[in-house]
Amino acid sequence: MDASRPLFIPVILGTARMGRMSLHAARLVTREVGKRAGVETELIDITQLPLPTEDAGEAIKDPGYSSKVERADALIIVAPEYNHGYSGLLKHVLDSCLKEYIHKAVGIVGVSAGPFGGARMIQNLLPVMRELGLVTIFWDVNFSSVQKVFDKDGKLLDEAFIGRMDKFLKELIWMAKTLRQGREQIPRG
Amino acid sequence: MTTDDKMICPMCRVEMNHHSDKLVYTTDSQTVRMGETLGEYLEEFHTCPKCGGVASRHAA
Repeated sequence: MDASRPLFIPVILGTARMGRMSLHAARLVTREVGKRAGVETELIDITQLPLPTEDAGEAIKDPGYSSKVERADALIIVAPEYNHGYSGLLKHVLDSCLKEYIHKAVGIVGVSAGPFGGARMIQNLLPVMRELGLVTIFWDVNFSSVQKVFDKDGKLLDEAFIGRMDKFLKELIWMAKTLRQGREQIPRG
Repeated sequence: MTTDDKMICPMCRVEMNHHSDKLVYTTDSQTVRMGETLGEYLEEFHTCPKCGGVASRHAA
């Protein structure tokens, strides 16, 4: 394994809703990931991906998204709760790749205006992660009452989230390093 | 049954590590081959130990 190659952990913003507060959360997460030594990151906004809707799955794979996910060692998905689930557009994007995800780590950040911080969205997204070959970590970050966590300009109002993200990111980075070793060096049994 | 031939990374020209197999279901008649009556096939996943690039192929 080339240990000098930095880890790449992009952040996927999984909502297209106008006025989305998840954008503030995604930007914060991206900044925090980018502070880690040996880690590179990038915010992937699903609204900016040119995926058609007259087909689905790998048939509509976008080369830009595919190459970023192929390069990735882990993913962070930041998404709000849509009727207890995740957005249809997020699923449409996730379904457009497969080999790019296999044996890579994923952490999920839930966002909600209410008290549950996207917990139900996360629970519903977990089986999708498993089927895509992604490896979930047991830490989440939950931005509940998100309108109180950020001001209208996206400034973080509750510094406790920095500590919560630290634990989440430590676990994700450990898993990303471990799985890179596995993907590159350990043959399947 | 999976393929014994090593895949070669098109970028680095080194042998890739075959680390996973997955049963994939498809409705695409072009993808389904003879004998795959339910539309499922086994896909192999390989990663380059040098650049981290990934590749996949149908198992033999």
